[in-house]
Amino acid sequence: MSSSASVIRTDGLTKKFGRVTAVDAVGLDVREGDVYGFLGANGSGKTTTVRMLLGLVLATSGSIEVLGEPMPASGRDVLTRVGALVEGPAAYPHLSGRANLALLDSAGPDGPRRTRDRRIEESLERVGLAQVDRRPVRAYSLGMRQRLGLAGALLRRPRLLVLDEPTNGLDPQGINEIRRLLLELNREGTTVFLSSHLLGEIEQLCTRVGVLDGGRLVLQDEMDALRGPTGRTEVRTPDPARAREVLASITDVDVEPADDGLLVRGLDPADLNDRLVSAGVRVSGLAPERRRLEDVVLAATTSGTDRFGREGERP
Amino acid sequence: MTRLGRWCAVAVAASLLVVAPLVGRWLPAGSADAGPEELLATARAAVDRPWSGSAETEGTLQLPDADRFGTVTALFGERTDLRVWWRDREHWRVDRLLLTGETDQVRDGDTTVEWSYERGEASYSREPDLRLPRPADLVPPVLTERLLRGVGPADVTVLPSRRLAGESAAGLRVRPPSPLSSIDHVDLWVGEDSDLPLLVEVYADGEARPSFTSRFSDVSTEPPGDDVLDFEPTPSTDVERDDVLDIADAANQYAPVRPPATAAGLALGPASDGAVGVYGEGTAQVIAIPLRDREAGALREQMAITPGVEQDSERTVVTLGPLGVLLTGADGDGGWLLAGTLTRDALEQAGRDVSTGFVFVEDRR
Amino acid sequence: MIRAELTKLLRNRRTWGTIAIINALPTLVAVLLAITDLGPRPGTGPAFLAAVLTDGTLFPLAALAMVLPLFLPIAVALTAGEAIAGEAQQGTLRYLLVRPVGRTRLLVAKLVAVMAFVVVTVLVVAVVAYVVGVALLGDQTVTVTGPTTSVSGTPMSTPELVGRTALAFGYAMLCMLGVAAVALFLSTLARTPLGAAMGAMTLLVASTLLLTLDAAQALHPYLLTRHWLAFVDLFRDPIRWDDVVRGVLVQGAYVVVFLGAAWASFTTKDITD
Repeated sequence: MSSSASVIRTDGLTKKFGRVTAVDAVGLDVREGDVYGFLGANGSGKTTTVRMLLGLVLATSGSIEVLGEPMPASGRDVLTRVGALVEGPAAYPHLSGRANLALLDSAGPDGPRRTRDRRIEESLERVGLAQVDRRPVRAYSLGMRQRLGLAGALLRRPRLLVLDEPTNGLDPQGINEIRRLLLELNREGTTVFLSSHLLGEIEQLCTRVGVLDGGRLVLQDEMDALRGPTGRTEVRTPDPARAREVLASITDVDVEPADDGLLVRGLDPADLNDRLVSAGVRVSGLAPERRRLEDVVLAATTSGTDRFGREGERP
Repeated sequence: MTRLGRWCAVAVAASLLVVAPLVGRWLPAGSADAGPEELLATARAAVDRPWSGSAETEGTLQLPDADRFGTVTALFGERTDLRVWWRDREHWRVDRLLLTGETDQVRDGDTTVEWSYERGEASYSREPDLRLPRPADLVPPVLTERLLRGVGPADVTVLPSRRLAGESAAGLRVRPPSPLSSIDHVDLWVGEDSDLPLLVEVYADGEARPSFTSRFSDVSTEPPGDDVLDFEPTPSTDVERDDVLDIADAANQYAPVRPPATAAGLALGPASDGAVGVYGEGTAQVIAIPLRDREAGALREQMAITPGVEQDSERTVVTLGPLGVLLTGADGDGGWLLAGTLTRDALEQAGRDVSTGFVFVEDRR
Repeated sequence: MIRAELTKLLRNRRTWGTIAIINALPTLVAVLLAITDLGPRPGTGPAFLAAVLTDGTLFPLAALAMVLPLFLPIAVALTAGEAIAGEAQQGTLRYLLVRPVGRTRLLVAKLVAVMAFVVVTVLVVAVVAYVVGVALLGDQTVTVTGPTTSVSGTPMSTPELVGRTALAFGYAMLCMLGVAAVALFLSTLARTPLGAAMGAMTLLVASTLLLTLDAAQALHPYLLTRHWLAFVDLFRDPIRWDDVVRGVLVQGAYVVVFLGAAWASFTTKDITD
């Protein structure tokens, strides 16, 4: 466990809409420097939680601290240091992207006019919209709007980025760019809170994961801990039958067939490799097996992974 | 502040604002120290003292709508907003306020100017002996003075005081002294500070709501200055001089008839020196106007479609609250128009008396 | 924030479209009057319309009397109804709030923007009507007929006329405050801007209707539209202040209550759009 400062901490956070409990006693813990993956199926209460963190939805009970201060009480102070993208971007359709950013910046505190133009250009450049002309946002593609929304979130170089489904509507190329951008920002010291229903996205980017299921936080841990080794070794070989024979003679070793090889428990990888190669078995790959996030999430949730989107489902 | 707290604050503010305009009305009214006799004298004298203010009259009497009686129909059948400046009976200005302008009457001695904004017209006329009711007759002090004619202390009882136009006002109920009157009673309240009648309500027999109301919403006893009482037409105003003020004035001057000396037992009033007769006084009064066949025909047609009308070959008659209107004769004839606050029987009797008792005279022209 | 709202308002093409439509009616009326020379019969038609035939300088007032009962309040209801519900529908509301803009601040800024719209609209009406009136109907102050005549028949000098006209237009602007507050409140409740605007218009129609009903007399002092046309009183001589003052107080009360309600509603609302 890292000892760095807490950036988001909620305690018993609950939201009821009428008799429906959308979010139930959630205790988030996001630390400085994290890329936190907030994973949940659609309708799991993810967006409501994000909105509560930003003071848009008022909690029924429980407490929220963002950047060390209570929300929504200190919202005016805290939110100037937070950039957010909530449930898709939004802009005034009759104005250009630049005009939109300028308007948003001038609307709130701590956006000095002196540096505004420069900050807008920098943000647009970071999200890949630097070349955009004076077209009104009305004429933007979905991907461009998403980028503009991200530019808005980056405008004041926030310490914390809260992003709800930030890669929606982007093509694979765009998704890659945004991922790189987020990692770059994270290296520069920005904590990223990334909410998504896409397992793959979370798996590739995040250092910490929280899983929301039916309004409850069912899992919250470091990504490395979740994807720890299982104790088995994956062996890829064109000669699985030979390999089984070789390993059958060793006591306390379990062998299971796998897609293009075997799964072996009971031998450390170096030893296993040595034995196979000495016996003349051709080995094309060999590595300790790690747990997959999908399996962990599946085990923790009741809803099953079918409600989580897979990478391939993206538009 | 919690959600509930905020809404409560809004609700409290809203109720305070709703109640605020009512507070003045809820202040306790004092009890009158003046007796009925003294109050009667005060109420009668108001018309000879200066005052000014905003008044509002409201009538519920749907009179037959005939062209030449237009203003009268509106005065007795609708709400009318008035602004009044009164120096004495012969110097005053009464503005009838309309949404789209105003019609003002300014009296200066023997001359009365009527200014109509929408017509852009000022008509001057001499003050006639007899005429139809006009707004100035219905302002509380003027109306009070007229209704109290012939009323003695025995005819009045004291009513509880009320708050009116920002002051405490003593109340009087007046029962008409004459059995011929169709008015059941008149309630009036006299301001204790201003000594002016502030509210007059006229009730017909058996009616729970007043048939006619006249009230001050705001009044002052400051004498009005010359600046408001002088009317000087601007260069763009059409100035006219009228020989006759209205149909009653015209008939009075030019009709070659004289009314009989009494009608329904009521004597001809002192103002009657022409063709028009005014009988009785105060709460039991009737005016008799001779109409030519054209005027009578138009009025008869209008009366015939008024609810509650009774018509035969002798006369057409309707009763509207305390006001009775009777037109003698049948289709194609001229006739006498009688209008006043007489009981139905007395009005019919007066109609017969006038139509049989009038005499022709030489045309004065 | 207020600056940002004003920018938004003035850069919106719809603002100017609305203003153009509002001006179309008085202009059409002026053209018709100039062609036919037919004034309304006494007691009918908007105030001052009979007088403008002889004096075009009064046309701004006639135009005001034309647009004040219906056009102007509808435009205000639409604009104010848009305020919160429009941002919510567009999705921009959540971004404003996390910018962060305080919710009370946002409400006040919206009200200021709506009032700016009213001021601009009313001023444009005044200027357009003056130009149209003088061009088409003539200017009495420079003709032989002399000074303008007040409603009470007394002369009004040009400075006096200008002063009273300015007062009347100021009063008309104030009258729109109440509508703005109501529409703003509904805008915090409704899901769509049109819903909020329709709600405010319903209140206007109801108020106008109740005013014609004697049975509702006890309600009359509280009705939003009760004193709107009292600006005519400013042209009586002496000026009749009662209704104008009452009108200002009623608008004030509406602003307090409905802005308060808007505040109570909006500051405790879950923004889920």
